[in-house]
Amino acid sequence: MAGLTRITSRLAQMLFVLWAVATILFFIFRLAPGTPLAAYIEPTFTEEQQQALLQRFGLDKPLYVQYGIYLRNLVRGDLGDSFTLNDSVASVIGDVFPYTIALTLISLLVAYLIGVLMGAVLAWKRGTWLEGWSIPLVLTTRAAPEFWLGMLLMALLSFNLGWFPAGGAVSAGAEFSSEWARFFSLDFLKHLFLPALTLAIYLHGLPLLLMRSNMLEVMQEDFVTMARMKGLSSWTIMVRHAARNALLPVATAFALGIGYSIGGNVVIETVFSWPGLGRMLVRAVAANDYPLAQGAFLVIAAVMILMNFVADLLYSSLDPRVSSGHAKH
Amino acid sequence: MILAIEDLQVHYRSQRGVVHAVDGADLVVPTGKILGLVGESGCGKTTLARAVMGVLPKNARLAGGEIHFDGRELLSQGDSAWRKLRWREVAFIPQSAMNSLDPVYRVGDQLIEVLIRRGAYSRQQAAKRSLELFRLVGMDPARLRDYPHQFSGGMRQRTAIALALALEPKLIIADEPVTALDVIVQRQILDTLKDLQRQLGLSVLLVTHDISVVAYVCDQVAVMYAGRVVESGKASVVLTRPYHPYTMGLTMLSPISNAPKGSSRL
Amino acid sequence: MATRSTDIARVKPPSRWRLFLGSLSGAGAVVLRDPYALIGTSVYLVFVLIAIFADRLAPYDPLEILFTPDGNLAADLTPSAAHPLGTTNLGRDIYSQLLYGTRSALLVGVTAAFFVVAIGTVVGLVAGYFGGWVDTVLMRLADIAFGIPFLPFVIVLAAFLEPSVWNVVLAMALILWRDTGRVIRSQVLTVRERSFIEAARVSGSSTPRIIFLHIAPNILPLSFLYGSIAVGWAILTEASISFLGFGDANVISWGYMLQDAFVSQALSRGAYYWFVPPGLAIVLVVVAGFFISRGYEELLFPRLTEE
Repeated sequence: MAGLTRITSRLAQMLFVLWAVATILFFIFRLAPGTPLAAYIEPTFTEEQQQALLQRFGLDKPLYVQYGIYLRNLVRGDLGDSFTLNDSVASVIGDVFPYTIALTLISLLVAYLIGVLMGAVLAWKRGTWLEGWSIPLVLTTRAAPEFWLGMLLMALLSFNLGWFPAGGAVSAGAEFSSEWARFFSLDFLKHLFLPALTLAIYLHGLPLLLMRSNMLEVMQEDFVTMARMKGLSSWTIMVRHAARNALLPVATAFALGIGYSIGGNVVIETVFSWPGLGRMLVRAVAANDYPLAQGAFLVIAAVMILMNFVADLLYSSLDPRVSSGHAKH
Repeated sequence: MILAIEDLQVHYRSQRGVVHAVDGADLVVPTGKILGLVGESGCGKTTLARAVMGVLPKNARLAGGEIHFDGRELLSQGDSAWRKLRWREVAFIPQSAMNSLDPVYRVGDQLIEVLIRRGAYSRQQAAKRSLELFRLVGMDPARLRDYPHQFSGGMRQRTAIALALALEPKLIIADEPVTALDVIVQRQILDTLKDLQRQLGLSVLLVTHDISVVAYVCDQVAVMYAGRVVESGKASVVLTRPYHPYTMGLTMLSPISNAPKGSSRL
Repeated sequence: MATRSTDIARVKPPSRWRLFLGSLSGAGAVVLRDPYALIGTSVYLVFVLIAIFADRLAPYDPLEILFTPDGNLAADLTPSAAHPLGTTNLGRDIYSQLLYGTRSALLVGVTAAFFVVAIGTVVGLVAGYFGGWVDTVLMRLADIAFGIPFLPFVIVLAAFLEPSVWNVVLAMALILWRDTGRVIRSQVLTVRERSFIEAARVSGSSTPRIIFLHIAPNILPLSFLYGSIAVGWAILTEASISFLGFGDANVISWGYMLQDAFVSQALSRGAYYWFVPPGLAIVLVVVAGFFISRGYEELLFPRLTEE
């Protein structure tokens, strides 16, 4: 029962933060230069269009009414219409979202797989020369601007060697039998390679350092000494006991990483002209397309807040000390 | 005798130089008896106990001497030969079972792990045996499904005993098995240990700083000071008529009577 | 031994200001014992010197469009004696730009880091020490801050404010105090429960005294740790924002250089001399920050020496 209360309180917290961020966004976009209406109405709209918008968002009504309409629309999934693209914001975002998800998930998976393995190896090989140069190298990947790494890789592998395309998600004019076919095509994967590689290089440092530090801690624990006394094999000790304990925080970090990456991939998407949510946000802001910018930001924030919640759930369900409650005598 | 230690040397590399934690210790555990190894903190008794298992910290070194176990000399064999002995012939009950169990696995699974991987048990046989072991140490078998953090200190210690007995070893080394427990539970655990030793004919090397524990449970006693064993012999003799001044000091400070072993005086 | 109670009564306790400075300098000096922290600090010093003397060290004005002796635009020149790092496609000296870039990097970095750490520490202290509804309110604020994606927020801010390096500082001050705040708070909670605090409270110590004399020494190293990392974060963020085109075009920064290179097709032309050095400069400064933070880490979580 303790578990259920915990989940409900975390859920409530998540909803609270979602609401707070949506509210902050509402007020920020009212500060758009020009009239508060500028967030919704462009001067180029016709009289009828303007009237329709006035109706839809209650722009002629007092602020608190507009706020109520705003929240109601959000819950219904109505994020308004884009100024620059002839479509509803929700639809535009729906089109680009899969690209961001594909990039984020693949990069994170690769980064974490490599990071965890190398982190465990480095913990195992503590105090050797390998540690001496690999740790500074990892720190360098975390210190470098990710878009700069992207630029280097693009210059080397795309322009110089011609192995990979220099941007976009698919070649111009490419035809596919369906959306799914597109995502699994070789063309798509070739385009995905460089941005994903860049992100993986940038992101692997965290799981690596985390796993290594956790392993080092766990290896000092009494139960690891006991495992040696029991005569268990090194493999059993390292994998079944040490790594299993060390992985708990890493799993949580992965969930959090998804949340952060969704927002942070903005620059990578720009470098590689990857048609994702981040790039959409940048273009919307640059073009003063306020509804689209607001919608994109909201979706990014919502994913992040959701992943924070998921990370919390993961942490409590993976660690038996948290999930099964107090000691019984 | 099941265990005979001769002139054992164990050295630690520390920031302050080399520390001779065990500095020429001699010890004999007669088969089927309980030997109490008693001394203050830092005298090297835990190091000695771990040396018999062959599991020492990274900066420790077996620098000399001989350990004869069941006819074999342990220091001259390699680690892989030593590993074969561990748990099957000589097992260890740790000081505070608080952290000696892996927190992410159920207690029953940790028993089964040892039975399957180190014994020749099948999964089913191992499950059966873990039930037996729990009953043996006076624990409710239903608790096998629990996680270590759900156990009290006493329960964890009993689990540690059950684990140690899993593969029916010839020698049990118990390192301060009751130190971390409150007095009433101490007594219960020691009683359990006494009973099991009698039932199964175990040989036990019991390491402790508490001389009243030795008085309560042990047949033989060895007194350790600064890395050496300074006095040893039958418990009833050494504790009532100590020869070495250090032993005298120990016995004088503890509330034990002149009654021989077996009386309930703690 | 007789207690010299009269002597003790006559001793004046150090003023609060002295105590605070004491704990600050204590935390500062200890770091320099760690070799990594020493290297990091030296690198920082070098960058500070470059920033201060940029106008003396740089051969040209970074924004000045240059011409070759025969009157042509000095554009896209590869590295040479006259231009150690070559020139941009508009004829500007890259080396000079790099040197001047230290100024905005350090300015943004240090200011932003200061605000992030100051706000975070104060919030953590207050929430941790006073508890109750103060704690709840502050932690809810932190939750909200955690719910705002940072880079997108800076971008949106850039949409509504004049392009300026201070946008980054403002955004960081508003959002990034959250990590420091939570960590400091939990550290305060641990320290607060220790018996010497209880003793101080019982013997009538005033609240500010408890905070400065007893709690601060335990948490300031943590603040410095986050501070040294925050400088790096600020510089990276500023670089990203400039790269996206939301930076101040009149201020030379490393991010601006990278954006300039990118949109001028320096990648396809293989003009490595243009876009590699600014990135390397960023890496150097950020890694130096990591090294300094390692010194504090050693102080806070000393590696268990093998006994």
